[in-house]
Amino acid sequence: MTPSARPQSLRSPQPSRRVLLTTGSSDAHTWNLVHLQLFLEEHGHSVLNLGPCVPERLLVDTVRMTSPDLVVLSSVNGHGHQDGLRAARALRADDRTRSVPMVIGGLLGISPEGAAARTAELLDAGYDEVYEDGTPLTALLRLLAGLDGACTGRAAA
Amino acid sequence: MYRAGRGLTTSAPTPSPPPLAPGDLGAFVRDAAAAGELVVQPRMGMAGPEEMARGVAAVAALPERTVATLTIDSYTRVGDHAAATAALRAGHPLNGFPLVSHGPRTGARVAAAAGRAVPVQVRHGSADPMAIFRTMAAAGLTASEGGPVSYCLPYGRTPLAESVAAWRDSVRFLTEESRRHGRRAHLESFGGCLLGQLCPPSLLVAVSVLECLFFTAHGATSVSLSYAQQTHPGQDAGALAALRKLADEFLPPAVDRHLVLYTYMGVYPKTVPGARLLLRRSAELAVRGGAQRLIVKTETEAHRIPTVHENLTALRIAAEAARTAHGTPAGGGADAEETYTEARALITAVLGLSDDPGTALLKAFDRGLLDVPFCLHPDNRGAVRSTVAPDGRLRWTDLGALPLLTTSRRTLPMTSRQLSGVLGRVAREHDRAAATRPTPDPAPRTAPPPAAPPLRVGFVGMGPRGLSVLERLAARCAEEPPARPVEVFAIDPYEAGAGRIWRTDQSPRFLMNTPAQEVTMFSGPADGGPHRPGAGPTLGEWWAEDDPAGAEPDGYAPRAVYGRYLTYVMARIEETLPPRLTVHRVPARVVCADRDPAADRARAGAGPDGAAGPGGAAGPGGAAGPGGGAGADGGAHRLRLDRGDVLTVDRLVLATGHPLTELDPDQRAWQRFAREHSTPARPVRYVAGGSASEMPLAEIPAGASVGILGMGLTFYDVLAELTLGRGGGFTEGQDGLLYLPSGKEPRILAGSRGGVPLLTRGANQKGPEHRYRARLFTPERMAALRAAGAPLDFERTVLPWLLAEVNLVLLATRIRRAHGPAAAEEFTERGAALLAGRADPRPRLLERLAADYGPRVDPRPLTGLDALARPFAGRRFGSSAEYHKVLTEWLRADLAEARRGNADGPLKAAADVLRDVRQTIRTVVDFGGLTPDSHRWFLAEFGPVAAMVSTGPPQLRSEQFLALLAAGILEPVGPGARFEADPVEGRFAVESAQVENSWAALDVLVDARVPGTDLAADRDPLIRGLMVDGEIRTFTNAAEGAGEFATGGLDCTDSPFHPVRADGSVDTSTHVLGIPSEHTRWFTQVGSGRPGPWGSFTRDADAIAAALLEGGAA
Repeated sequence: MTPSARPQSLRSPQPSRRVLLTTGSSDAHTWNLVHLQLFLEEHGHSVLNLGPCVPERLLVDTVRMTSPDLVVLSSVNGHGHQDGLRAARALRADDRTRSVPMVIGGLLGISPEGAAARTAELLDAGYDEVYEDGTPLTALLRLLAGLDGACTGRAAA
Repeated sequence: MYRAGRGLTTSAPTPSPPPLAPGDLGAFVRDAAAAGELVVQPRMGMAGPEEMARGVAAVAALPERTVATLTIDSYTRVGDHAAATAALRAGHPLNGFPLVSHGPRTGARVAAAAGRAVPVQVRHGSADPMAIFRTMAAAGLTASEGGPVSYCLPYGRTPLAESVAAWRDSVRFLTEESRRHGRRAHLESFGGCLLGQLCPPSLLVAVSVLECLFFTAHGATSVSLSYAQQTHPGQDAGALAALRKLADEFLPPAVDRHLVLYTYMGVYPKTVPGARLLLRRSAELAVRGGAQRLIVKTETEAHRIPTVHENLTALRIAAEAARTAHGTPAGGGADAEETYTEARALITAVLGLSDDPGTALLKAFDRGLLDVPFCLHPDNRGAVRSTVAPDGRLRWTDLGALPLLTTSRRTLPMTSRQLSGVLGRVAREHDRAAATRPTPDPAPRTAPPPAAPPLRVGFVGMGPRGLSVLERLAARCAEEPPARPVEVFAIDPYEAGAGRIWRTDQSPRFLMNTPAQEVTMFSGPADGGPHRPGAGPTLGEWWAEDDPAGAEPDGYAPRAVYGRYLTYVMARIEETLPPRLTVHRVPARVVCADRDPAADRARAGAGPDGAAGPGGAAGPGGAAGPGGGAGADGGAHRLRLDRGDVLTVDRLVLATGHPLTELDPDQRAWQRFAREHSTPARPVRYVAGGSASEMPLAEIPAGASVGILGMGLTFYDVLAELTLGRGGGFTEGQDGLLYLPSGKEPRILAGSRGGVPLLTRGANQKGPEHRYRARLFTPERMAALRAAGAPLDFERTVLPWLLAEVNLVLLATRIRRAHGPAAAEEFTERGAALLAGRADPRPRLLERLAADYGPRVDPRPLTGLDALARPFAGRRFGSSAEYHKVLTEWLRADLAEARRGNADGPLKAAADVLRDVRQTIRTVVDFGGLTPDSHRWFLAEFGPVAAMVSTGPPQLRSEQFLALLAAGILEPVGPGARFEADPVEGRFAVESAQVENSWAALDVLVDARVPGTDLAADRDPLIRGLMVDGEIRTFTNAAEGAGEFATGGLDCTDSPFHPVRADGSVDTSTHVLGIPSEHTRWFTQVGSGRPGPWGSFTRDADAIAAALLEGGAA
């Protein structure tokens, strides 16, 4: 069960988006997901939180079923780079999920070395943005506000 | 010295102990405990066998008692051995050692690097550990961490039922397989960690015990019970004690067992000193709590997977900290009792569900009898919530279906900001605590003679005013070492920093009257460095960090919260003391003070450098201190304390705050009347004024008629305590707040001169650092008036300019609403130009000007402040109901004005001028600026009206007033309310002369007027004694041929505020600040500084600090 829904946001000037929140297939951390869900909901977006250790198949199936406005992959176990590449390739390989906007952020490698190369590879694999650890969450809000088109449908969750 | 917990390590099977293979984890820990040493162990895992083996060898080679670790990578953990193997082949980094991919032979080779004696444990996090256990068994490895719950719920998506089944089979396999090869398997429950953060200890302890029961049910004979360091050392030590007790109670006696502590598993400190501090504290906790093994964390935990070297450093630090830690395992205490009781309730509830521990665990999670807060796993109910309480302990906020009796507070769901606040709390605290005081400069710039005796300063009263001086004193000493050492004695019978008024144990319903963001006690903003004098957080900033879940930094803080902030400031001053400054807390009351002529003589004989003298070594209790250069001031001050000893100081800072005054004749008569007419059947009481927190309000019976005299800020405190404090509550109704009574309220009849409560404060639209620049009521104009020399008539020469300023803002704000900022700016310029040159700035002139701005602008100015503060003057009401109706309409209109804000709302913007120019008013009034008659008028008439208009409560309070009025709980009596003792009724009574039939009898009369400063009536023996001795006197405003006005306030000089003696001489070794000097100075009841440029609160404190240091140099 995901944490209870938040009371309605006091300020949601931006269009409300439907966000699918996920993490790497090997990543068991959840505090980042709990926090992101609360944060996005407080800003008027609706969130489906897939929880920890999300296999690629589950991710692709869920995107096919719910057509979210954005997929957010948050990972902090150091495997985010490899898990993230596999998730992106799986989504980009499926006709029905190929064009869903997706971003990744967190601690993506086991050390800060090679961050630039990792970022380039992730962007190449199909991510629209790669957020280094420490990027303010407002960057995510800006991206959500700037997404093309109106809200694609009813709440996902 | 460290000792093993009794009962745990002596319970190994005694009859015929099977021969244990070398490297048996349980036996190794038992031996270490017997030798009084804590076993330390890293979390360490590398992808490559050679690298891993080097790490294992290095850990084993340490002189400490270590256990080596193979931490498994996450692909192997989730059973994706193909991905792990692929990563190995491709040379991709892994976050651990892929044991299964490497196979048993490589695994055995790596483990052998530990040698024969040092145990090697596998830590993996797998919900289905069979593949790992098979490899372990084949490699001869016997020790694993884990558990069916603790390796499932926090770690992934495997259904709990699958994990329980897998762990059942796997534990049976590992124990049997090990036994077949003459080894003993060891299983450590990870139940003491779960998600690492925000799980109250009782659940961690319960899961740890239940998982170990599960292990033993499936063949394990050697187990360890875990607990992860949380947020509060006392609560943690209690949890370890509870864990030990419950293990003894529930595990079969023959099972070998020990406790293992994990260094903090949540968000880790970012700095190396912060991380080391947390690690050391965990080692000390292990010793104190009676754990025999510690799993450490490294100082790079927050940033990346640590290297071997960083792990070795951590192990050494932890072992060293454990060796130097003192104390024996704590057995009892409230923390231990609470966790034991709760955990026991959880364990017995679960075990009652089935004879099979695995089945019992499944049913328990299904029914929510076990429920992990913030856990996203589908098999976790997710109905419970928890937080970190202000005291640092983990607390349940919602018990969900947990079988606990603790009364659960249903609280608002946590916001993301609050969540990250509580998650990061431990990291922040340790980073900050470890950011040592800026390393003291070894060579002070001006090296004074080393033997110079310290200048001893006694602070009588260590509330906000005393603290403000100490803060500046410390900041100045940190900037430049003082010429002479300074020794401060902070004397206050209440907690240093908070003092009496801001006590931390008062009701949380008493609120401050200033937004938390506008309050600070640091004389400069926090700068990212350690909080210290000159650089620290505002109340709002501190509150948000200290209590992320409960703080409302944008609002008004409870007074108890400000008290905690003040004690924090005091603690930071003490923790960051610069060289040559010391602070002693003296928890006592000064009962009298006099001079020590002997010390003066000693000082005189000590020679010009003042360095010698036998008194130099006298401690605080010594009979005579060193002379302090007091010179003409008659020797050192001897302070006799109520605890019996005498303190001798060279300088005195009197900051005694709100007085306790004698009752006046009316009040004494009321008190006597209540005593005489009270019977047990119908008690009659008179509750005298002062702070609401000191009134015996709880003794007022439900349903009694209570009169409240005064409708100011104390009235609101009393009101809150008699309603919210009795279990009532407010809820949003269609038409504002609704009050939901508890039935325990008394009937509350309130009365005051004006018959209205204080005007509501406008919603704050100005930043905390906003400063208003006056156009007409300027400091320059007032300085010029005062420079003319003759005392002024406030009403005739000062008030018109103040009113002009108020009207300028009122009309400009109206114009801005109608025509925008440019028009408003133009009006302000024109208005200021029109009036500035005149002798009499009449409001009528502004009205004509404002009329130019068309019909959308109401051009009428205020003709006086009375119109705002006394709306019902001279008005009569036919009944209480009529008065209540009109009062409701009036307060609703006032609330509407308040909601428009203190920048955009014309009336509240105008009222705010009074706050903004308060310091300019002081420059005119203070130290005899007014004629005696005018001074009297100013205090009696202007003061209360200004307070009505500009010191009012936040909107919430006015909304609550209306709700209580509508609910019939609160019955304001009317304007000009008169309270009296009614000898016929034998009770008190109240009546308004302006409201027909408003007479009512009262059982209780609460005097909610703040007692004014009147030194002659002060009950403080110190003040009385000083008065009698002529060391201080009251300020009498006297003018040639204009009579006199005896104010009752302490007579003192301008900055740095020395008291004036009865004979007119000045005592330059004493300073006086705050409320005792009220009347001599105006509006001293300010208990906080403001962020941004210094206001008078901080300037006054700094002036005294500077004078103290100059005096020390002399």
